[in-house]
Amino acid sequence: MKQVFLAIDTSQGTSVAVLIDGVVEAEAKDSNPMRHAENIGTLIASCIEQAGLSASEITDVAVGVGPGPFTGLRVGIAAAKMFAAGSKAKLHGVGSLDAIAFELELEAPTLVISDARRSEVYFALFQSKSPNRVPRRLQVPAVAKQAQVESNLQSQGQPYELVQRPVSAASIGLLAIAMLSEGVNPEPIQANYLREPDATQAKPKKVSG
Amino acid sequence: MQIEKACFGNDAWSKSNMKSELVAPHTTYVVAEQGDEVIGYAGLSKLASSTSADVQTIAVSDSHRGSGIGRLLMQSLLEFAREQGAKDVFLEVREDKPIPQALYGSLGFVAIDRRENYYQPDGVAAIVMRLDLELGTNSAPIVLGIETSCDETGIGIVQGNKLLANVISSSMDQHARFGGVVPEIAARAHLEALDSVLAQALKDANISIDDVDAVAVTNGPGLAGALMVGVGAAKALAVALNKPIYSVNHLVAHVAVDILERGKLETPTVALLVSGGHTSLLLVRDILNDVELLGETVDDAAGEAFDKVARVLGLAYPGGPEIDKAAKQGDPKAIKFPRGLSLPKDMDQNRYNFSFSGLKTAVARHVERADSQGETISVPDVAASFREAVVDVLVTKAVNACLENKVPRLILGGGVVANSRLREVAAARCEEAGIKLRIPAFSLCTDNGAMIASLGAQMVMTGVKPNNLDFGVYSTIAF
Repeated sequence: MKQVFLAIDTSQGTSVAVLIDGVVEAEAKDSNPMRHAENIGTLIASCIEQAGLSASEITDVAVGVGPGPFTGLRVGIAAAKMFAAGSKAKLHGVGSLDAIAFELELEAPTLVISDARRSEVYFALFQSKSPNRVPRRLQVPAVAKQAQVESNLQSQGQPYELVQRPVSAASIGLLAIAMLSEGVNPEPIQANYLREPDATQAKPKKVSG
Repeated sequence: MQIEKACFGNDAWSKSNMKSELVAPHTTYVVAEQGDEVIGYAGLSKLASSTSADVQTIAVSDSHRGSGIGRLLMQSLLEFAREQGAKDVFLEVREDKPIPQALYGSLGFVAIDRRENYYQPDGVAAIVMRLDLELGTNSAPIVLGIETSCDETGIGIVQGNKLLANVISSSMDQHARFGGVVPEIAARAHLEALDSVLAQALKDANISIDDVDAVAVTNGPGLAGALMVGVGAAKALAVALNKPIYSVNHLVAHVAVDILERGKLETPTVALLVSGGHTSLLLVRDILNDVELLGETVDDAAGEAFDKVARVLGLAYPGGPEIDKAAKQGDPKAIKFPRGLSLPKDMDQNRYNFSFSGLKTAVARHVERADSQGETISVPDVAASFREAVVDVLVTKAVNACLENKVPRLILGGGVVANSRLREVAAARCEEAGIKLRIPAFSLCTDNGAMIASLGAQMVMTGVKPNNLDFGVYSTIAF
């Protein structure tokens, strides 16, 4: 039986891909970082159509679990969960920064970053790949100011190459397949927010002087 | 007769023909009017001895075609046919008229026969179409509704007008220590709850996900980030199932819930929707086509005011039930708190609008003044007086909206409907004013997916075109 992956990532823009037996058959993306809810349905539908499939033929769904700005990230994960429920497909979580690292050779330590807004970046440090090209992390994803991250690495004497690029759903799908064939545990299907919600405890305040 | 001639040309009935139709005991005619002018009509024939009804004719004047009049006329005929106990309805339509054929098809009519040379002298064949009204009840569309506009993750499943499942997961407890809904916490909770709420809803409805005929989802008004979780989920589900999707207005859906309890919504009706996120008065003439927002809060929602005042009084979150409890021992007339936007000067601009921010401040001042003078306040009295002020304004404006628009019905919705005093006062004043009051079961009053599914099902059953996949969310009220 064919293994048909629908891959979704909304950690930056909205990116969707369909892979048949490990080959990318269709890709659709919109780099707008604010229109995930608008774009997600159309992009999924158009990828499935481009690949000449019907939705019921999808056997697996791979989704980027971030890190990424919350509101958009959630749209992709919510869509992946519901698509998997609707098409009775298996669901796999993939780190969004890992999918970027998957595209690199990683011969040297590489700092992969993405925009976290509020003048900060999401980042993770990778070096080398497994036989199936699964990137190995030297440091798990975190969020901080880019200058701070880089000066920390420098003061530790850690060399690195800096990479910032869009996440591609095709890479999410390919990495999910590589992880499966290698028996690497998938990421849990939970948004990797890396930040607590902005909320302050309410205190009764005086309204009169 | 002008419309008859213009619509049917050679097939038109004569004046005497028309007259005998109108007076015949077994026929019923409905007429669409605009001002004094008749712009369309339709007739149904149903013999008392038969379980079948026939559509005799339907016509809409040239200048009003394409505006949905034909559909409305047909819908009222079909409703009448049902009331008369018809099991099926037949009609004939000219083979060369695709537009009415499409209308009948969208209402569930199926072509069953073709009669050559039926229309003379043009020699055009008639297509005979039949609508199985009983089939309509048994095989009504199964619609799954998703609601994530605030802090409840709701998935409901209905079949036509029948409720099959209504599962809600609330993140209320997580908001308690903040004294109000934190949008980011609500949105995170939606994402986490989706799978289990869906699974439970399918289990309760005893259906497989493949049985779902359409997906409906709230896309506003509400918290944008929270709405987007539901919209992303619903779109992917619709694509996965290859089924249509309908975006639904949250406020109108609160009214559509009545259909699940009573099989239909009596219109026109005024709706008073009161929750932690909304305080709105709607005038619903037709749940799908004609809903008017009469007014809404200009600042805090009523439920929000309850939460804030509860905090001032040292009561727990959510404030509604706590204040309700405290107020039971209090005197509602102990303190005269202001009624927002209720003065004569407000009637012009804010006749049906609400404001609770001034009331909340008045309560806070009252408590602070007592504090600074070393007096102890009576929490029950403050709670009762505050509650009375809120309820008084809500019910007064709702009843006025009914009377002034000559609408003899009021339906309540939203979580604040749980408030015992609101129910009491609404019941008493509606009775006084001759207004029929409807309060749906509480599980259907709070935000839930069943109400979204219910409104979605109405859209499906009346042939409303589904949404394209590219719709967005809106946070403020839009009609």
